[in-house]
Amino acid sequence: MSGRTRPRPAAAGGPRAWARDLAMGMRFAAGGGREGWTRTLLTALGVGLGVTLLLAAASLPTLLENRTVRREAVAPAETERPVPPSPRTLVQAPLETAFRSEPVRGQLLRPDGARPPLPPGVTALPGPDQMVLSPALRKLLHSPEGALLRPRLPFKDVGTIGPAGLVGPGDLAYYAGSATLTPENGGHRIRAFGVTRAPEPLDAKLLAVLIVGCVVLLMPVALFIATAVRFGGERRDRRLAALRLIGADARMTRRTAAGEALFGALCGLLVGTVLFLVGRQFADRITFWDIIAFPSDVTPVPWLAALVAAAVPLAAVAVTLLALRRVGIEPLGVVRSGGGRRRRLWWRLPFPAAGIALLLLNGGIEGSRSTAGPFLIGGGAALFLLGVALLLPWAVDATVSRLSGGPVPWQLAVRRLQLSGGTAARAVSGITVAVAGAIALQLLFSAIQSDYLKVTGQDSSRAQLQSTLPSHDIGTIRKTISAFRETEGVRGVIATIEASASRPGPLRKGETFAPSTQVTVGDCATLRELARTGPCKDGDVFVVKDAGGQVEGSYIDETARPGATVDFAFHDGPDGAGKRPRLWTVPRSARTVESRKDPMGQDSFGLFATPGALDPALLEEPMARAMIQLAPGVLDAVEHARNTAAGISPLMSVRALRDTVRDGQYTSVRTGLGVAAGATLALIAASMLVTMVEQLRERRRLLSVLVAFGTRRATLAWSVLWQTAVPVVLGLALALSGGLALGLALLRMAGTAGLDWSVVWPLPAAGAALIAVVTLLSLPPLWRMMRPEGLRTE
Amino acid sequence: MTPEGSLLAAEGLRKAYGPTPALDGADFSIHPGEVVAVMGPSGSGKSTLLHCLAGIIRPDSGTVRYGPHTLTDLSDTHRSALRRTDFGFVFQFGQLVPELTCLENVALPLRLNATRRKAAEHRARDWLERLEVDDVAAKRPGEISGGQGQRVAVARALAPQPRVVFADEPTGALDSLNGERVLTLLTDAARDTSAAVVLVTHEARVAAYADREIVVRDGRVKDMAGRI
Ligand SMILES: Nc1ncnc2c1ncn2[C@@H]1O[C@H](COP(=O)(O)OP(=O)(O)OP(=O)(O)O)[C@@H](O)[C@H]1O
Ligand SMILES: [Mg+2]
Repeated sequence: MSGRTRPRPAAAGGPRAWARDLAMGMRFAAGGGREGWTRTLLTALGVGLGVTLLLAAASLPTLLENRTVRREAVAPAETERPVPPSPRTLVQAPLETAFRSEPVRGQLLRPDGARPPLPPGVTALPGPDQMVLSPALRKLLHSPEGALLRPRLPFKDVGTIGPAGLVGPGDLAYYAGSATLTPENGGHRIRAFGVTRAPEPLDAKLLAVLIVGCVVLLMPVALFIATAVRFGGERRDRRLAALRLIGADARMTRRTAAGEALFGALCGLLVGTVLFLVGRQFADRITFWDIIAFPSDVTPVPWLAALVAAAVPLAAVAVTLLALRRVGIEPLGVVRSGGGRRRRLWWRLPFPAAGIALLLLNGGIEGSRSTAGPFLIGGGAALFLLGVALLLPWAVDATVSRLSGGPVPWQLAVRRLQLSGGTAARAVSGITVAVAGAIALQLLFSAIQSDYLKVTGQDSSRAQLQSTLPSHDIGTIRKTISAFRETEGVRGVIATIEASASRPGPLRKGETFAPSTQVTVGDCATLRELARTGPCKDGDVFVVKDAGGQVEGSYIDETARPGATVDFAFHDGPDGAGKRPRLWTVPRSARTVESRKDPMGQDSFGLFATPGALDPALLEEPMARAMIQLAPGVLDAVEHARNTAAGISPLMSVRALRDTVRDGQYTSVRTGLGVAAGATLALIAASMLVTMVEQLRERRRLLSVLVAFGTRRATLAWSVLWQTAVPVVLGLALALSGGLALGLALLRMAGTAGLDWSVVWPLPAAGAALIAVVTLLSLPPLWRMMRPEGLRTE
Repeated sequence: MTPEGSLLAAEGLRKAYGPTPALDGADFSIHPGEVVAVMGPSGSGKSTLLHCLAGIIRPDSGTVRYGPHTLTDLSDTHRSALRRTDFGFVFQFGQLVPELTCLENVALPLRLNATRRKAAEHRARDWLERLEVDDVAAKRPGEISGGQGQRVAVARALAPQPRVVFADEPTGALDSLNGERVLTLLTDAARDTSAAVVLVTHEARVAAYADREIVVRDGRVKDMAGRI
């Protein structure tokens, strides 16, 4: 191929020779006719898919960061001391509710003057009874199901919150104007919006999980890219043989091949970038694990993007050179050394061994907090998984070389695997690594999950919702309680009106204030939820002692005594001394009982009275709490209850009782990994399908010849199935053992023992299912290729 | 054109790929044990004719009769079964399964016909000997020469003792010496087993091996000369 007249020196391997041969390869790839283009296109598409995924992964930090920044920007600024009113202040109160499981974030605002601070994304404050809202909330309100939410937002829609004021496009948020809100009736005066919270350092165990997760998810992508640059390799090798015939030496052809791969990889980068840019336009239309993102948030971290751009072409060249090591391109054809040279174990084993060693060397998981820690964990896991990927071709080789005999399909499959087990192993290496990684990750996750689950003490089987009434007016309280009782889907309301009672009369020696206790008024059904009342009828009074015995009983004894007189008025304040006492005598018939944890998990004690015994109007500044029991099976009962609350006061919130809550960081790590796993799995399936079809395509002519012979389609289909099944079984076995080894090493690091098999089994099963689906999908192309047209190709 | 006693006979075959016809009313017949050379310029429709005759593709119209069967009416499954049991094939190149040894390649059609492995390989060895390539029995197709490969292919076509052998330019990729040797072996062996041979070729000298020659031109068959 050289234009020179003198033969090139044999050792030409300098940068110039490299550049020349790579360039020649790229020219071949670009101008290789239809065949060449098909190959380049396949590679570009494959690499492109991988690159898209890598860029998406590289955007995750930006996405999370931007969401956090905006979430903090809309929160009312925190101040140490109360802010005095000025033209630059406003009074604010949160209006929190939720629709089904989606939180709806609202704020009630009343400006103090002409130049109030504006929340981000809002150009003008809404006037009284007006609101500005997010597009997603407007859409929800206008939808049929939004009818359940509309009563809670009885404001006039006067504008839209811009993206700067929203965490994401799916955010349900609004700001409503008020004419009456003051700090006295539930508001909070602020000068500005926005808080800055020091970022919470990620928990060490979660950091380890996150790092391993990234490695696990990105390894298959890397493997896929490596596979994609080898698409159509056999044909290319034959083409390169022609090059040898006209005088290229072995090294030149190898570099030329690398050049072709480089071209494909560069095209792939381009395709990937375009796919990514186009794809992110749809980010605000796709919900991925509850996250909908603004397209502008899906921006790769620059250095990560640069890393992708540099690593992909480099990897393409390296992979090609490595792959051609085993292939002798001779002037008269391609000699695959598969038959002669066995794959060796000795250089493969050190990879997983080194990986495990790195992990164990790292010591405890707390080490991941140090600067080197994350790199050690990530590097260790990556090395180990790479080792698994490297062991697979060896395992396939070692196994199939012992197989023989059997019926024709089996024989065809086994012989093919013996000759080119590497190709088959490559096809399943992605899933092997993914399953191994997933097993390790699941083990770690299940071992640490209890650390991140907090038991709240609430009992959601006894009551499902709770609400605190923001009014001390006994009339309003009564109205609210009966409104809840009449709400559709509400079975019962555990409603208490609470205040405090103290011993009347002057202070005794040594006392700084009068002993006091809590007074709780509720009907018998309510009191039964709070204390072991035994028989109860209206008019009864109980003295309740703390069952846990944690609260000192003497105060209760001094005030809540049958026959004792108590005073409900407060005398602590500056004007307390002159206040008229509100006296009441505890009936002598009052029984002493023990307290019981209420559905919120709290203990109440002191004086419990039914309304027939104590008129709550006598209490000073009574507080009311309601725990609501819903009738099972009534759809949207929660929404009706929330509407009832909003009808009484927009500031009244209704919260669901939860038995346990997950740590926020844990949840977001889990969510992030879930999102990524879905994407990786889709990629693996796609890559397997492409690889399988590609392998079939290279054998199109042979398939046609076999069909001409009268070979049954079933025979060929079975041989393809066997050919897939053998590496798959080996791959999954390897994945299982590798995953367990890696998982146990990680568990040791995390300082948790205990192997939970139940989380392990589903993964190889899922892998096998995925492969079965892909294999079935590859049958139609196989059918199509078993046509006589194939006799003509070449 | 369909004389009495013919083994395989075709009438009025038409096959078009898009607007241009590849076969345009071709007739053909062959007797048991007869060797017919099919000649003609490139693109005239020889391969298409052969594929129709062998039931690999279905013509757009016309019939192919083989003994009591009307091939053109049979289902794909039936035609496949016939190809397995009664027909043998030799193509120009790339027909040996690369991962099987030559011996296994020859045994393959026998095994597709449910012959046991041992017996199939035994018979395959006989045929390799007969075609003078028993020394490559254990090698893979990638490790042997083109001429050896074609001989293995011929052995494979003849091993199940087919009634008709279809050969599409079996020597196209060989030098003339090798080519002639392969053709001699093919026709001799076919005559020994009284198999009919449909031999598509460009080579003029091939006439020496054939009982009859026909020429395909623009999708039609012209009889060149009578029998020898
Ligand atoms: N599968 C196909 N798709 C489209 N066109 C086809 C197909 N098979 C054959 N043809 C066309 O039909 C015509 C006859 O083709 P055929 O292969 O039978 O010719 P041939 O005589 O065997 O030529 P050669 O001597 O070059 O092998 C040609 O014009 C060819 O282009
Ligand atoms: Mg032809």
